[in-house]
Amino acid sequence: MDTLINVAHGFGVALQPVNLIYCFIGVFIGTLVGVLPGIGPISAMSLLLPITLSGTPESGIIMMAGIYYGSMYGGSTTSILVNIPGEAASVVTCIDGHQMAKKGRAGPALGISAFGSFFAGTFALIALMLVAPKLASVAIAFGPAEYFSLMVLGLVVLTFLTQGSMAKALLMACIGVVLGAIGLDSITAQPRLTFGRLELIDGIGLVPVVMGLFGIAEVLFNTEQVIKRDIINTKITHLFPSRADWKASAGPMSRGTVLGFFLGILPGGGAVISSFASYALEKRLSKTPERFGQGAIEGVAGPEAANNAAAGGAFIPLMTLGIPPNVVMALLLGAFVIHGLQPGPLMITQNPGLFWGIVASMYIGNLMLLVLNLPMIGMWVQLLKLPYNILFPLIILFTIIGVYCSSNNVFDVYVMIAFGIIGYFMRKLGYEPAPLVLAFVLGPMLENNLRKSLILSQGDLMTFVQRPISAACLLFALVLLVAPLLPALRKKREMVALDEGV
Amino acid sequence: MSDQSDVKFRLNNSELWGGLIGLALGGFVVWSGLKLKLGTINDPGSGFVLFYTGILMCLFAASIMTAALTEGGPTFGSRWVNTRWTKPLLVIVCLIAFSFALNPLGFLLSSIPLMLLLLRVVDPVRWPLAVPIAVLVPLGMWWVLKRLLLIQLPSGIFEIG
Repeated sequence: MDTLINVAHGFGVALQPVNLIYCFIGVFIGTLVGVLPGIGPISAMSLLLPITLSGTPESGIIMMAGIYYGSMYGGSTTSILVNIPGEAASVVTCIDGHQMAKKGRAGPALGISAFGSFFAGTFALIALMLVAPKLASVAIAFGPAEYFSLMVLGLVVLTFLTQGSMAKALLMACIGVVLGAIGLDSITAQPRLTFGRLELIDGIGLVPVVMGLFGIAEVLFNTEQVIKRDIINTKITHLFPSRADWKASAGPMSRGTVLGFFLGILPGGGAVISSFASYALEKRLSKTPERFGQGAIEGVAGPEAANNAAAGGAFIPLMTLGIPPNVVMALLLGAFVIHGLQPGPLMITQNPGLFWGIVASMYIGNLMLLVLNLPMIGMWVQLLKLPYNILFPLIILFTIIGVYCSSNNVFDVYVMIAFGIIGYFMRKLGYEPAPLVLAFVLGPMLENNLRKSLILSQGDLMTFVQRPISAACLLFALVLLVAPLLPALRKKREMVALDEGV
Repeated sequence: MSDQSDVKFRLNNSELWGGLIGLALGGFVVWSGLKLKLGTINDPGSGFVLFYTGILMCLFAASIMTAALTEGGPTFGSRWVNTRWTKPLLVIVCLIAFSFALNPLGFLLSSIPLMLLLLRVVDPVRWPLAVPIAVLVPLGMWWVLKRLLLIQLPSGIFEIG
């Protein structure tokens, strides 16, 4: 009963005209960045982070969340019609989605992708509503040792799932922790690594770092390649899948939803891994696995449901523990912090309007996305024809303006350009930026909790293993750290490695 | 990378240099941690986490270098084979020039040439299209920010904008 009252309260917040507008802007921009290859939700969210300052916390966070789950919908359009993933979570959709489109079945592929996304998104929200308050009540008992160990686990999982060498990913995570330590020490107020520059006293901003590493670096990386687009030009019909398509997709959609939701909750996991896992699962369960890769609708329905469910699941650790499980959620945490809010176990009870308002807006956003992605599909197809030689300079200009507006400080523009150039060379040398960004966000919290635990336990390191949750997290992290040394597990890791740690 | 196996002990092994940079950074972080004071285990100081993170960085960097020396790795050149490497280089030059020009010239006088350069250097956009985009987009953004959102962009020594 309490949940229903809370949901009603949430709808009261989400249905306010201003919040509806922000929600629409969020899902519209999300679909847009999902459709356009080369720009992901991370770049779009960091670009729009400063705009959240102008409204209420609810409005800003509703918009940011809309960009994230909206991009999951939009990414599939590009995968199906152009065979280029609009964002990392849609890589798998290319395999069967584009084959379906080539065979004249673009409509059912787009339709099942949108309906699957809607179904999974709705399930994830119901689960979020039921699980989050319960988990939050448990998390109140967490002490600094548990928080420290959970953050270590999150970082290790992300480095484990990052593509390429794990040593490189761990090195990136360490660099992120160091970058996060720049500025005044939160306990002693001593300046650290500021090199005498006043601009560094408050540390480096999240926005310039993310915009540099994901926005500018992405543009630099894309300019060195000739991007060819093989757009399916036939008229898109039969967006509503046939009975046979529904029958074939019902199982994959349901399994993908459950799998995606649980993988989304895990720290370091997320939409990308869940879409790969769902595809592998469906192929294994299928009586005709040879159809996969040739245009099997199950290969679209499962992964699309999984990545949307994961996007919903990822809100749980952020909302209940205050720990972002991936880079996108780290940006959302940034939006909370900008408004002086700290997500965590107390947020649901102290700010019920905010929590339930966000949840309710996601229901509304999912409905908006269904309308945006089916009847308006023609508009997105036209957008795919936008030339990159015009798009890339515009992205650079918008990132510069976005970064400047976030702090009214030219220094941040310099920081962004520097991180853009560093990020480009990092990508060329096989160093993924995702662990760095997550560690950059978690670093100050991780340090704070480590030092608090040591002070409280009077220097007794056993405090981390005597507390069961902390011990379990550290043990799991240790297993993942050792895993790449074993050839069988190393092979498995390479199979699930992510392009971007989101 | 086709020539991966050839460069085990060569100096242009990019993995080796990546590891070396990591090692140097790790060394610097360890030194910074020591300078900031480690404190004790029951009262860790400002340099405590930096010091141990630096040690971890050195370990990971050493592991990357060991792998580079034993398994080999791609050369710097092979990382850019079959790519239009001059394009990102030109964009980088444009961005560095812009960062030097932004404060003295202001937003409008620095971003219009930046846009024009970017529109012409990557995959050249026709002049009749490039010029209006390069002028109107920064001007439009400036107008929205200054007039509607009341955000002052840098106006430079000429106080334009």
